[in-house]
Amino acid sequence: MKSESYLLKFFLVAYLVVFFGYLLGPLFVMSITAFNSPGFPRMTPWECLTFEWFDVLAEDDRIIEGIKNSFIIGIGTVILSVIMGLAGALLLTQIWPKLRATYYTVVIAPILIPGVVLGISTLVFWDRINIMLGFTSDSLFNNGIFLTILGQSTFIASYCMLVFIARLQRFDTGLTEAALDLGATNVQAFRKILLPFMKPAIGSAAVLAFLASFENYNTTTFTFGKFPTLTIELAQKVRYGINPSISALAFIIIVLTLIGALAYEIYRRRQQLALANGAPLSAVSGGFQLPRIFRGNPAAVIMVLLALGGFSTIWFAQTYSPTECKLDVREQKRIIQNQRILEIQQQRQLQQQQKLLQGPDIFGGKKAPAAPGNTTRPQNPGKGSFGNIFAPKNLDKTGPKD
Amino acid sequence: MGGIFRDFFDRNGAGLGIFLLVVVGFWVVILIILPQLSMLDFSFRHHLPPPEMGGPKDTYTIEHYKYLVLGAPGADTSYNVVDLGVFGRTLIAALFVTILDLVLCYPLAYYLGQSKGGGFVRVLVLLLIIPYWINEILRAFAFRIIFGESGVINEVLLTMGLIGSPIDFIRANIALYAGLGYAYILLMIFPIYNVIESLDRNQIEAARDMGAPWWRIHWRIVIPYAKPGISSGCTMVFMLSAGALAAPQILGGPSSLWFTQIIYQWFNQGGNWPRGAAFAIVLLLTCIVIVLSMMRLFKVKIGDIGK
Repeated sequence: MKSESYLLKFFLVAYLVVFFGYLLGPLFVMSITAFNSPGFPRMTPWECLTFEWFDVLAEDDRIIEGIKNSFIIGIGTVILSVIMGLAGALLLTQIWPKLRATYYTVVIAPILIPGVVLGISTLVFWDRINIMLGFTSDSLFNNGIFLTILGQSTFIASYCMLVFIARLQRFDTGLTEAALDLGATNVQAFRKILLPFMKPAIGSAAVLAFLASFENYNTTTFTFGKFPTLTIELAQKVRYGINPSISALAFIIIVLTLIGALAYEIYRRRQQLALANGAPLSAVSGGFQLPRIFRGNPAAVIMVLLALGGFSTIWFAQTYSPTECKLDVREQKRIIQNQRILEIQQQRQLQQQQKLLQGPDIFGGKKAPAAPGNTTRPQNPGKGSFGNIFAPKNLDKTGPKD
Repeated sequence: MGGIFRDFFDRNGAGLGIFLLVVVGFWVVILIILPQLSMLDFSFRHHLPPPEMGGPKDTYTIEHYKYLVLGAPGADTSYNVVDLGVFGRTLIAALFVTILDLVLCYPLAYYLGQSKGGGFVRVLVLLLIIPYWINEILRAFAFRIIFGESGVINEVLLTMGLIGSPIDFIRANIALYAGLGYAYILLMIFPIYNVIESLDRNQIEAARDMGAPWWRIHWRIVIPYAKPGISSGCTMVFMLSAGALAAPQILGGPSSLWFTQIIYQWFNQGGNWPRGAAFAIVLLLTCIVIVLSMMRLFKVKIGDIGK
């Protein structure tokens, strides 16, 4: 019995390691490649520690422009989808019961509709309206920012609505009724009672909406027009040739995400602590969690470590120069290359000598260049190492044949 | 009907009531329903240059749907083997990704749901959420680095001497399945976790006391109880991976396409919007039919989705 539970524990740990390895490994590998010097993002072989990719990233105008567009669209989407999601959730609590299921299906559907379909339908619909109204092609209805905000809000509002519904389920309608009985107007009751109650949910819905908008690709790729967002720019870079500056961007995003998540975790623990200390009622429910909070706050520890790591990195970046190391690597590469060339030349000479011995051979011309083909590996695997998948033509192979 | 409206305005007041109705009306009608209808209408139109739209030539046609099934007129084959093949392959691959995610996530969801909470579980949940905040493109890009010809896995295998030459994971679509499964892992795990969390532990204790082996406990108690969560997770993962565009574009092999990529090409390179719209309609309807039949099969309601 005992050995069985040990075995079970072993399997559980192994499974957790595999699962989180799958989940976090890719992010880890990608972060490492941001600091390796080869021109193609790769972790092995490790050549030189470098920070040049961050400079490359900072000088990339298209990325900067994309971030700007993403922010504009993100803010528009947050405003629109939080309002629509809140209204949708409020209406759900009041709607005629027989209609409720249908209504819920309709407003939840955008989550299930493929993003591609949402993008296309938005594009087609507003294009037709534009034609119907006789506007020119550069009117508002053909504007990339306008279309993207609408297309994204269609489904992001559904996410927001789910957040609001979860919060509304805990709302005591007696509060609003009491306010109305005491002579408050409807708007006052809404503003002074319901909105403050919904405030945390509005905050988290806004964050959720912004993140969803920022990383959306499927819908945006049809609607962006002349205003490519960061995600669109990234996708184009990844498809048509890349360098580790994308890894550098990924690293920055990962670090920001980590800091955000940890800050949120610390904030939540503080809140719990305050609740437990201040309010006696909630102290009962949070009572047995109290010692665990005192036992140490791992989130805070990690945050401090992260900050230390960041500072030491900056300090290191100022004192360390990767140029020397790169020269070394180049020199080594050159030596290897020279050796290979020498080998090839020797082989050729050998073959030619054999040919002279054997007499004229009509196939000799074809055989000779084929010989080194197997022995040499590409010098710089950066290009063509994926079977030229990055070449734009390859993506269109089975494309439309009209 | 009028009574309902009076009731509604009594509860919210005129200003707020109108505001709610207008906002929700805008969302439901202008953003959700009309664009879908207009896309449906558009998919039955001829491919015309803008000046001829609305003119005498602008009639209804089913040529685009015919094209998807039968191929271009005068083609060698009687069916559109390429597009239909891609369509079928996309659906099967999406199904495969869904099953992969389910198998991968169920144990963890069970573990998280049945553990008593506490710091370790909180950290695990936090770790689960972090990858989801990273851009979809960047996640696919990470898989490209790992599975590339000179990627981490190939390098490790080569150094260990397990393989002689690099394996082309991208051509074999392994990178694509791994990337897609990765992208939607969270949408599988949280619905199941939420349901299992509310399962009474006494039921499992009782079953164990009666001598049920662990697999029977799962088969007879946990899985039936977690069914709404499982089907809601499966629905979302299936729909999203069938409709994925970024991961196939970045991780797909040069010889294999995803159906969304064909739609994308009709819009961006082919310039034939009505045909792209027709293909999108087919994708949408097929996904809806599959999901509805799955729900009917497992007796789950749409209201369970998104909980």
